[in-house]
Amino acid sequence: MLLCPDGQRSSADAIGQRTRSVVRRIRSGVVAVALLSLWGCASTPAPAPTARPFDDVRRLAIIVSGESALSVVGHDAEPGRTFDEILAWYPTKPWMRPLADLVHKGINRARELGRTATISGSIDDLAPRTIVAASMARTLRASGWFDEIRTLEREPTAEDRWRDDAVVRVMVPTWGLVRVREDPDLVAGFAEVRGYLMAPGTGVIRWEASQDVTAPEQFPLDAFKKDHDFARQQLVDILERAGQRLASELMYARSAGR
Amino acid sequence: MRPRGLAPVSLVLALTLAGCAMTTALDVGYPEQGANRALLASAAPRRVQISDVVDHRMETARVGTKPKDGGDIVTSRPVVDIVREALGVEMSKNRHVLVSDRPDVVLTAAVEVFRLDAVQGYRSLQYVGEAIIALTVVDGSTGDTLLTRRYVGIRRREVDKPDESQWREVLDTALARAMHDLATDPDLVAAVGGSRAPSARPAT
Repeated sequence: MLLCPDGQRSSADAIGQRTRSVVRRIRSGVVAVALLSLWGCASTPAPAPTARPFDDVRRLAIIVSGESALSVVGHDAEPGRTFDEILAWYPTKPWMRPLADLVHKGINRARELGRTATISGSIDDLAPRTIVAASMARTLRASGWFDEIRTLEREPTAEDRWRDDAVVRVMVPTWGLVRVREDPDLVAGFAEVRGYLMAPGTGVIRWEASQDVTAPEQFPLDAFKKDHDFARQQLVDILERAGQRLASELMYARSAGR
Repeated sequence: MRPRGLAPVSLVLALTLAGCAMTTALDVGYPEQGANRALLASAAPRRVQISDVVDHRMETARVGTKPKDGGDIVTSRPVVDIVREALGVEMSKNRHVLVSDRPDVVLTAAVEVFRLDAVQGYRSLQYVGEAIIALTVVDGSTGDTLLTRRYVGIRRREVDKPDESQWREVLDTALARAMHDLATDPDLVAAVGGSRAPSARPAT
């Protein structure tokens, strides 16, 4: 320790105190920033789903509804990514970007149609909404919760309308194959399905769900192109899985809030 | 002169920020508020022990990689703890009593997949979250296996503007779907009730 005259020591002490005070303040600030950074890494809790109970429903009609489109979704990054690299050399021509987007979309739409055509021949006779509705009905029947479940291809007639406690309308807007993995490129069956339950004659919706249903098994696209029986089986499987999913979600929501 | 006190703090800050950039921890879970009483409540209330929940994933160090920089995506708690908690929530919500001794039935689970994948499109990104849980129900008194079933939850989501909060939503939803299938499975209801049920629906 250095010995200093009193005046020098008090001056040095004062500087030391100021420095320590500054360090403390900076340290507090840095700790606060670090805590906020960590807080920023976490996400907020997901909101709880809301539903109205419908455990009084014993007789149910499942009605298929809407149009269904088969598609093979590639999520291709090319040629758009290459266009972006080229356009980086021409920053003064911003009008080229929307044009590049259009060309990208056009090329990929044509690709998608081509891929869809290669598998559609083997499944022309499949009725996706009917398969989903039948699978949903089977799953609901197995629960033992319902006295009667029937599936309808069209809206019930006037005299038939009050037979059921509720109707579930089932839609399958799109279904087919979707790329789910990169390197290697793998695809899986998928079905987008929607269902909503309402009491007949009231228009009151008591449950609704949208489900992106994806097959757990993934294959190269060629497997579907080369073997039509395989493609057909995989697509039937995913539609049945979609029916089970809708049924599970409907049953899960049945006593919500009880 | 640089104050010496700042050096360790700066190091902590640098490591914190670097950690945030390289590894992201997601607070994935199955909150009790989101659980409903379902078909599983049809079985008479039973004493249920959740014994082993084991991790059978091929890659256990992370659940995914970040699309931009390849950094790890991990869960803030071990995946087996998340699944054990989710099973406990479902059992409790459906009126069964969680016990550690003298159980009527014992559940064991293996987490086979708990993963987040991303497929990069041109102006969009598609996430696929997957949770596969193999569940075994054993009679607590005889040790007989009453049911073995695999529950698969998959969530697929396409986004235009990628955001870290989407990763958690995708995994949360995948787990919730697996749990909802479990809670509405008539065969599981029979097994928890103590009987070996014929398969009413194929394993998903």
